[in-house]
Formats: sequence, C-alpha cells, structure tokens
Amino acid sequence: MNKPRRLSIRRAAVLGAGVMGAQIAALLAAARIEVLLYDLPADADDSRAIARGAIGGLARLEPAPLASPELAAAIEAADYEHDLSRLADCELVIEAIAERLDLKEALYRRIEPALAPTAILVSNTSGLSLAALAAALPPARRARFCGVHFFNPPRYMTLVELIATEHSDAALLDALETWLVSQLGKGVVRALDTPNFLANRIGVFSLLAVMHHGAACGLGFDEVDALTGPLIGRPKSASYRTADVVGLDTLVHVIDTLRATLPDDPWRALFQTPDWLAALVARGALGQKTRLGIYRKQGRTIEVLDPASGDYRPAAGQVDAGIIALLRQAAPERFAALRASEHPQARFLWAIFRDVFHYCAVQLEHIADNARDVDLALRWGFGWTQGPFEIWQAAGWAAVTAAIEADIAAGRTLCAAPLPAWVHTPGRDGVHHAGGSWSARTQRERPRSTLPVYARQLFPDRVLGEAAADIGETLLEQPGVRLWRLPRLDAGIGIVSLQSKMHAIGEEVLDGVLAALEVAEAELDGLVIWHEAPFAVGANLKQVAEACAAGEFARLAALADKFQRTTQALRYARVPSVAAVQGLALGGGCELLMHCTQRVLALESYIGLVEFGVGLIPAGGGCTRLAVQAAERAAATATPEEVFAFVQPAFMQVAQGRVANSALDAVRMGYAQPGDIVAFNPHERLYLALKAARALSENGYRPPLPVRAIPVAGITGIANIEMVLTNLQLGGQISAHDYRVAKAAASALCGGELDPGSRVDEAWLLALERCLFLELVQTAETQARIRHMLETGKPLRN
Amino acid sequence: MSRQLQDAYIVAATRTPVGKRKGAFAHTRPDDLLAHVLARVLAQVPQLDPARIGDVIVGCAMPEAEQGMNVARIAALLAGLPDSVPGVTVNRFCASGLQAVADAAARIQLGAAEVMLAAGTESMSCMPQITGNKLAFNPAVFGSEHLDIAYGMGLTAEKVAGRWQVAREDQDAFAAESHRRAIAAQSSGAFAAEISPYCVRTRAADAASGVVRLGERWVDSDEGPRADSRIEALARLKPVFAAGGSVTAGNSSQMSDGAAAVLLVSERVLRAENLTPLARFVDYTVAGVAPEVMGIGPLVAIPPLLGRSGVRLDDIDWIELNEAFAAQALAVIRELGLDPARVNPHGGAIALGHPLGATGAIRTATLLHGLQRTQGRYGLVSMCVGTGMGAAGLFERL
Repeated sequence: MNKPRRLSIRRAAVLGAGVMGAQIAALLAAARIEVLLYDLPADADDSRAIARGAIGGLARLEPAPLASPELAAAIEAADYEHDLSRLADCELVIEAIAERLDLKEALYRRIEPALAPTAILVSNTSGLSLAALAAALPPARRARFCGVHFFNPPRYMTLVELIATEHSDAALLDALETWLVSQLGKGVVRALDTPNFLANRIGVFSLLAVMHHGAACGLGFDEVDALTGPLIGRPKSASYRTADVVGLDTLVHVIDTLRATLPDDPWRALFQTPDWLAALVARGALGQKTRLGIYRKQGRTIEVLDPASGDYRPAAGQVDAGIIALLRQAAPERFAALRASEHPQARFLWAIFRDVFHYCAVQLEHIADNARDVDLALRWGFGWTQGPFEIWQAAGWAAVTAAIEADIAAGRTLCAAPLPAWVHTPGRDGVHHAGGSWSARTQRERPRSTLPVYARQLFPDRVLGEAAADIGETLLEQPGVRLWRLPRLDAGIGIVSLQSKMHAIGEEVLDGVLAALEVAEAELDGLVIWHEAPFAVGANLKQVAEACAAGEFARLAALADKFQRTTQALRYARVPSVAAVQGLALGGGCELLMHCTQRVLALESYIGLVEFGVGLIPAGGGCTRLAVQAAERAAATATPEEVFAFVQPAFMQVAQGRVANSALDAVRMGYAQPGDIVAFNPHERLYLALKAARALSENGYRPPLPVRAIPVAGITGIANIEMVLTNLQLGGQISAHDYRVAKAAASALCGGELDPGSRVDEAWLLALERCLFLELVQTAETQARIRHMLETGKPLRN
Repeated sequence: MSRQLQDAYIVAATRTPVGKRKGAFAHTRPDDLLAHVLARVLAQVPQLDPARIGDVIVGCAMPEAEQGMNVARIAALLAGLPDSVPGVTVNRFCASGLQAVADAAARIQLGAAEVMLAAGTESMSCMPQITGNKLAFNPAVFGSEHLDIAYGMGLTAEKVAGRWQVAREDQDAFAAESHRRAIAAQSSGAFAAEISPYCVRTRAADAASGVVRLGERWVDSDEGPRADSRIEALARLKPVFAAGGSVTAGNSSQMSDGAAAVLLVSERVLRAENLTPLARFVDYTVAGVAPEVMGIGPLVAIPPLLGRSGVRLDDIDWIELNEAFAAQALAVIRELGLDPARVNPHGGAIALGHPLGATGAIRTATLLHGLQRTQGRYGLVSMCVGTGMGAAGLFERL
C-alpha cells in the first residue's frame, strides 16, 4: 500500500456544492489546489449549472470564502453524470453532501469505482457514524477513508475534526493531519466516532443548557445573549443569534440526532426541541437565511421573539451592572460570587457553567482522547476564548468540584449522574499540566502530539496550565520592543517583538526597532519582526493627538522623521529583515512590513494603508514605496514614463483606506510581494520567518541600492485625480476636507507638482509625503477625525 | 471661373446595428465597422464611380488606438475605395458624425466636390475608460474660471435637471417611453431599411482540438432596447453621479459601439446619374454654452438654424434629439416647445445606445429613412456636446 511520508495534494474534488462544499473548495483553491466541485446534473442544457452557480455565489458570501477574487477560476464545476471519469485524477475527494446516510451510501457506490486506488476519500459529515459510512465502501477503500469535519465558515474557523474508523490507515491519518495543519492551516483535533463528534456534542449541549436555564431563570433571549457573549469569553453572536446564523432547522436536526443516537446519555431528557423553536421552524422562520428567526430586523430596529406570546419585541438585553463588576474579578472569586448571588443573571451563569463542567467531566472518557482536545475543540470550533476544562481549572478545581457535587446532591443540576472518580483524585488541581492533559480513557496525562508538523509551531495555541513556550534569550529590552533569539533554532537571527498595546507604533517602538537594527547589523545575520497578532494596528494615534492638543507640531515633525528613518533603516540595513504578519497590519504597521526584505504572511492577514480614515496620508514611507512600485511596474511596459496608470490603483487604495482581505489579496494590492511566503497556519510564522531570514543571509544578502531616477506622474497625474475629486465633491459624495486629504495623497503618489515623467529620488518623495502629512495634521478637521477615532473607534466624516 | 453655390443631396444612408459596450461588438474593431458601412452605402448606388468621391469625412469622438491613425483613411482603403480617394477624421465629441455630414455637404455646396462620403464610427468597447485610453487632464483647469471642464457628463445632467426643474419621475418616464418606442420600431421592422447587418467573426481557442475555432455571428438589430423596461424598476435605481441626485444609469444614454455612412452628391451628379435623393441637406449650426450645463446645447443650435432657413418648428415632421440624458432631453423639449410625439419616434440613445462620435451619422440615417417611410418633409438631427456645445442639422425630403 502506498503510504506517503508527506501528503502533497495537487488536485482534489469536493462532492456537494452546498454552502459548505463550495466554501471548502474555495479554501483548497487558496492553497493552490485545483478543485473540481461536483453536484447533481442540472436538468437544463447546462448540466453543471448547480456547481457553477455555487462557484459564482462564493463572491457574494460574507465573510469572503475566497482569499482573492480570481481564485474562483481555480474551481471547476462538474456533475456526477458527465464528469465521473475526472475523479480518477483527484488525490483527495471530500464528500460534503446532505446529512443522510442513504444518500451518502448511494453516492459512495456511484463514485468509488471512479477513484484512483491511491485516492483518499473523506466525509465532512457533522455527525453520522463513520463506521456506517465505511461499510458502504469496498473493503480495499476503507483504509483510505475517514472523517474530516470542517466548521462553518471553513476558511475562518480553525477547527477540523479528524475521525478515524477501525480500518483507517494510521500513517495516512498522520499524513492527513500534517497536511490539514500545515497546508490548510487548520487546528486538528482527533475526535472519536461518536454522535456529533466532539465540538458539536459539547457546544450543542451548552446551547441546550443555556436555553433551559435561561427559561428557568426567566431571562429573555436578548438578555441571555448579552450574558453569553464576550462577557464570558464567547463570540458576539452569543447563543440565540448563533442559532439564527446556523439555521434553526439545522439546530432541530442536530437535537433530533442527539436524542436518536444517544439513548444512554444521562442528559437525554435535555435533548428536546422547545415548543417555541418547533413553532418557528414549522412556520418557516429558520433564522438568518429566511430573515426571520429568534431575531428579526424591522427597519433599523432589531426585534427578539418573546416565547411566551410568540410575538416580537425590540431587543434590549441589559446586563446588571453588579453582574458586570462581578465578572471582572479573577476566576476563583468570580465563580464563588456567581454561585453565592441570588440575582437571576448570576444564577443563570453559574448554572450554565456548572452543567457544562458536569457534562464534560462525565463524557470525557466517551467522546475525547483527552481534556486538551475538548478545550481546543471549543476554542477553535465555537470561538470560546477558554475551553470548559480551562475555565474550571482557572476557577479552582477543588472548589468548583465541591460546588458541583453539592448542586448534584441538592438536585439542582440537569442530571444526577455523579462526577467520575478521576475528578476527585487527591491533590488534583486541574486537567492540564506541563506534562500533558488528562485522558480519562487511559487514566493518565497525554502529552502533545509528536507529529513533526507541530515542531514548526513555536508558539502554538496552548491550554491553561501547559508548559510555556520557549521565549529564548533576550538581547535587548526597551519599553516598546524586545529583541531576542531562539538559539535552539538559530542563534544568528534576532527576533524583534513589539510590546505596545495592539502593537501600535509610537516613538518608543521606533526607538526600539532602530536600536534592534543596530544590534543586528553588529552581531546578527538577520532580523525577524514577530509577535502575536495583530501585527500592528497603526501608528500610535494617542501620541499624535496629544502633540496636536499641545500644539507641539515640531514634535510631530520629529516623530514623522523618526518613522521614516526607521523604515529606511529597515530597508537599507546590512542584514535582511523578515516581517512575520498575522491579523491587522494597518497604516504604520503596513509601512513597517512594506520596508522589510521579505514577508511571511499568515493567510488571514489584513493589510492596508488606512490613514485616510483619520484625515492623514501615509508618511512612514508608504506613499514613497507605492510611487516607486508604480514606476517599477510601468518600467516593464513599452511606455515606462507613463506611470499614472499604475499610480491610479494605488491612489484608490489609499483614498478608500482599503484593507486586503487576505495575504494573497495583499500581494495583489502591492503591500506584499509575489516572492513572499504565505503561512496557512499562523503558528508557523516565526519558524518560517527564521528560516527565510537565514536563507536570505546564507544567499549572501545585499541591501538594495537606493532608487535614484524614479519617473513620476507629476502635475498631470494630480490633475487627473483632481478631475475625479471635483466630480465627487460636486456630487456631494466627498467633503471639502476629503478632497484636501485625497489631493495630498495624489500629490505624494505623483511626486508633487512636477512635469509628468520627471525623475526624482526617494529622498524627494519621502520629504514630500512628510510635508503633506504635517500640513494635514495641523488642520482642525483632521484633528477632529483623530479625536473621534480615539473616542469611538469609528471614522468621522467632516 | 468662380464656382456656384449649389445644393447637396443625400442619396444613401446606412448604419450598423448598435451594440452595447462589451456586447455584440466587444471584439469588433471600429475601423472594421466603418469600412463595412462605407462599402454598404456605396453598394446602394452602384452606378456611381467611387473614384469621384472627393473626400471621406469621418466623425469620431475618441480618435485613438483602434480608431486612431486617421481612421477615415484606413477604413476607406479597407472598404476598397480607390487610392485616389482621401480621408479625414473630425472630432466634435457627440456631434462628430453630424459634423462630418455637414462638412461633406459644405464641400459640395461650395462646389469643391461633387460626391462626398460622410460617416461616423465609435467603439466604446475599445476604451478602457470613457475618457479615452490615456487620461491626461490639464492642471490649468483647476483654479481657472472653467472648473466645469472637469465635470463629468452625468454631473452636468444633474445641473440641468436642477436648473430646469426636471423631476426624477419625468426622467424615468421618458426613459421607459424611449425603450417602448424602440421596441415597437424593432418589432414593426422600421429599422430594416437603414441597418446593414454585420457579420462578427470570432476566433476562440478550442482547448480540445488545440486549434483556433472560427465563428460567425450575424448582428442585425440594435442591442440596447429592453422590452421589460418599466418605470417602477427605473425608479428603484440609485443616482450615480450625485448623492440625492436624479440621474441614474437607467435614465442616461447607453455606452455603445456602432458606425454609419451617408453618401452625398451635388445636383449636377444627381441629374446626370438619375439618382433619387433621400433628402436635401438644408443647413447646420453649432454653438457653445457653459460646460456645466452642456446638455442644453440644442437650445442655442436649433433656433438659429430655423431662423436662418426660414423653416418653422411646426414644419418639422421628425426630430432626432440625442438622448444623452433624459434630464437634458426633457429640458430642451420643454424650453423649445417641441412636440414629444415628433421627437425620437423610434426611441433614442437611452434605449438605442450612444456610440459618441457615430451617433450623428447613425441618427441621420434613422431620420432620412423615417421621413421616407412617413412621407414627412423636414427633419432635424440635434444633440448636446461635451464641454458645452449644441449642434443641429436640417434635412428636407423632396
């Protein structure tokens, strides 16, 4: 049997062009895999219309499944009737059709004979038995079959559950896990072949507990959502809004499945669809997809269902101030206080946590290998900031255990099942420790997976109580920046980590980067800029606002000058620099990464020059880089002096403050370069950046020569843009100040009021953008925009 | 011996169907469309020796790239005209095609030529943006008293709508009526006499065979008119040029591709060759207005034209008034008191499309064949022109 050491998928098929199938296809396309998307043949002349429609629909979905719009072209529509033979070329086939065993069995019988013997077949089922599905396959195929369960939306949800059957080839599972983690960037949890697997089993239980206790405590749905969102470390959509997004029919289906497939679950009585939910589904109110569900939008107001009357009322959902204060305490005090309080909101919160802890403890040995898998599954699949065992452990294992026992004894829990014995092990302070996490099945602590792919994750997602990551040796520490290195990987490459809040770039960060560069040039072979996401939300606006308020414009001028000196120092340093980017990289953050030698970008990197939103233009070298790049692009054409065609898109990006929706998009927009590295798994960024910096150094790195004769669009380019601005202003679509800021951006990108095609050097462009920035920052309108952004987080139109 | 002033007669006029931008003629070159109509218009008068043509005057509003390099001369040669026949391209934006007809007539009227070919061609599919292939705006405009040179056409339509109080509802109703008339004309076959169908030849990659797959597709009718155009749907469109404005994509002219040609002769040739004229060219005027209200251009072109020729408005049976925007067309109709029934009986540019420099020649063909069919006497072609001008041409069926 072919057991590849490393899986390399060039061509894949996704069976089922539903919302999930099409989105999985989009993710594969981003990973540069040719994808065939299959569905049933349509009746009309165009037999592939269903799959083609689904591919077309990808561009309209939010959040965007396509990492870059042109990726839709990498997905080919197919149907089971005409394209069956094309499956022979697919190395991986992902089945994602409707959740019905009979339909899946019939499909497997139809397609299996067309597959290559070496092809891997996986099912994206969210709850059917993999053993039952495997039984529908010929014995020879079963070794190359397993469950690969993505979460919706698959591009953005980290979790993938990998579910083996007794026949699955162990080496293949390892190869598949490696591929899912590194090539698709997913967080893999090995789940057992139990109904609804791991994340949904706990997550749906939690939702049912929320519904039960919300009703018992007399809380409205909106009040429940206010309590079960970010306040307790869960997503903004909280509970009922999540149900609307998932689809109420889907939810009912999942509840039915739980009841039907878990006859022995002690909590089975909870697996019931509440009457109000059944009534909603019966009248076609299925949530977001029908624009009517637990919530509905009436004009501008959001209304929520009142289950008693069946009517809707305006949603409010206030959390008591005392409860908010209580939730701000440290975990042990917080949980003690919740339990002690008589407030219905507190009683509700304690009850939902307690019953989830109780359920997880009892079910751990049946549904998961270990507690770490449970916690990561809820974090990656449901967006919880901490998993249930982590919360329990943080709250004080023994105290919470005693409280649960007392509640069981008092008949307050949803079920009287006793806590398993391992919970009471003397001296137990939790389930996660430096050596591993508790496995109830094996009654010992399970260390992390030793698959080599995880060695690339220098800072993986860790659970509470786990050993800390190696933070290396500090070379330099200043208020804004820590320079350090990881000798076990490469003692010659320095790592610059920004220490400011949200990694905003203020004066202390600039000083730190400059100091780090000095050390690097003297003692190191290269430099990496890395820290946890976000990469940087921009320049430190607070410092700018303070200087404006104090009228210290000379200080601002010095700051702008220092910003440029820093980015130029990066670009022209004797050692290569590699920015390891994830999440937001805006404004000054974008400028910082633009000036590095190379970039390692997590796929989910959101990069853009957004200064326009606060009435400014990029002045840390951003406009200069864009102008130089436009000239370089023009130079490759027959008319190298005609740079305006290349300046125009750059202007549009700056003037609209557009942010790239992925690393691939950032390359298209010119903030990153075609030679940059896209890390599908963000946890591999540092590893890849260290390797990239080393490779640059080993290859005899030389800094670029200063660019001296840059052709610019000049006064005609500015006039072209002013023509557009004139129309927008007259049409009432932009304000006079928008015009002013946009014209400044036009000037900076066109090299100022020069003859078109004039040649300038970088110093000219840098001085120009600095000068225009300082003019804008002294206007009352820009200062108002900055204040407004700091106060509200939203742009002001003035 | 000095030459006599003489009349100029149109003996043939034809046009291509008008395609939507990036539509039927997406990959058809404007010089090919032009060569086609030049050849077709001559074929309609076979007894006339092409060598007698004094000049080929072609209107084009963006004479660059595929329609640059003096498109008139290139297309004349491609159409098979003798080397001895010259060609010149003229540009007065949206009046270019009518300007070509007027210039050709003037050469005959002056006695400088006996036979002239006038035409217009424009492919807006060839233009990456409506400002042409390369935008290079003059910086001197800003800070001058002529900032309105920078105004987009849509914005000038908003200005006209505001100053002449043309309501959104009226604009949408006008647009719907334009489509209704165009569809009615198409179904009654009213355009058959003026259109020379065009065979689009396609060259597509055939991945299976690895060869270039040649295709042919005949285009024989205008692509723009919509049978399903309704006021209610038009009313839902958002204004595109100004926040809170009234000008939408639905009540503006369509961007299009097309060409037309008109053959003119002197009275002497008319008699000698025993030709039946479609009409006599009467007169032509052009005048300027402020660029910011360019849409009311016909207001300064039509009255002097009538005054000079002594023809009363009531005597005009058919008016082709280019519908750049419903707002400006309505302002002109109301200000001059034009009879809506006689204005664009077959619909206008909102439905039929507006291939800028070709429109003047295209609508001349429509007018002259329309007068023939309806046995009308006087007909008028008029339009507003970007940067603030109006043009009007008067024709008389004999």
